[in-house]
Amino acid sequence: MFALLKRDLYLALYSSSSFFYTSSFFILVLIILPFLFGTNDVQLQVLFKGIIWIGLSLSILLTMERIFNADYEDGNLDIIIQRYPSLETIIISKFITHWIVYCLPLFIILPILSFLFYVSLDSFFLIFLNLFFGSLGMVFIVTFVSALTLGAKRTIFLKAVIVIPLFVPFLIFGTNLESWPILLALSMMSFVLSMYVSAYGLRLYVE
Amino acid sequence: MNELKIEDLTCYRGDNLVLKDLNTKLKSGETLVIRGSNGSGKTTLLRVLSNFIKSYNGKILFNDHNVLEDANYRNCFNFVGQKNSLKDNLSVKNNLKLWEIIYQKNISYSKLLEDFNMSHLVERDVGSLSDGQKKCISLLRLNFTKSKIWYLDEPFVFLDEENSQILIQKIKNFNTNNGIVIITSNINLQNTFTNEIKI
Repeated sequence: MFALLKRDLYLALYSSSSFFYTSSFFILVLIILPFLFGTNDVQLQVLFKGIIWIGLSLSILLTMERIFNADYEDGNLDIIIQRYPSLETIIISKFITHWIVYCLPLFIILPILSFLFYVSLDSFFLIFLNLFFGSLGMVFIVTFVSALTLGAKRTIFLKAVIVIPLFVPFLIFGTNLESWPILLALSMMSFVLSMYVSAYGLRLYVE
Repeated sequence: MNELKIEDLTCYRGDNLVLKDLNTKLKSGETLVIRGSNGSGKTTLLRVLSNFIKSYNGKILFNDHNVLEDANYRNCFNFVGQKNSLKDNLSVKNNLKLWEIIYQKNISYSKLLEDFNMSHLVERDVGSLSDGQKKCISLLRLNFTKSKIWYLDEPFVFLDEENSQILIQKIKNFNTNNGIVIITSNINLQNTFTNEIKI
């Protein structure tokens, strides 16, 4: 599995812009806010808790094509499946890579953004925990949707229609600062579901 | 001495019967060319032999072991499909590096590219290469494993005369080293490889 993980991380590194896509998108979504709602401290703090989830959802949604589709379209998925017969290994590796490449940069810039939005240190830690556990579950969800829709071309809107309702529980609990245990539980459920459904999707592709 | 045996192979894709009662046997050093019209099941046959497609009737035996039950079989063959398995936005060198990681084998890129006289392309982006050059590079994957069987799906498509001859020579060298090769092709290769079946 580590070889596959290394390969995917190298691939992301070679296409180095990948690391900057989501974080720059995330920053831009947040920068728009003060223009729309003014610069009142309290208002910005309240908005921040909600808008970071919309930013995270969109970042994950817009990059979901890269989980399996890129390798499927150029034929690399055949090589990967031949070398790694355990589909679960492939799924976990793809999940970890996707999280590192597209979510980790958000956590790196989160302290700066929190500071800009006058978020207190206590709230920041809770927001950080919420986002961390929520992002895991959300990536699990896009992983299985991506595997299930493998081979379907130009279906980003269809995928969005499937994915967004599944994100709703994360968004509901994510905005409540004390609910990280619920997000952890949701992520664990998503993990179990994702392993089964992603493996089924990949098996459909192979067959 | 290795032996690949296909016994009464029948395969459906959806409701369509693609392969029907196929029987053949290949020994070390032999090459089989599979010919057939578009949609006749050539690629399906290679995907069945490569264990990608597992729902079929009949048996495929490699050295008398059913390939569906033999965990080591996946290390015995190399499959080069019609897709090139190359990332267009990366250089040839970086694409080879990615294969190197997957196959866990260090290889000299310049020596590898020398096979098809393409060492000068090592730093070029794959997206800027011709289809023939991409095909040649995709065939270099055959050098990454010490396999006993090569499954090549339409390997001569896009190749010019010179590179086709290089590939034919590579196949013959592999045969000399006891390798088994199965090729699907629309081109008549009977003057080069005598063992041919039509499906």
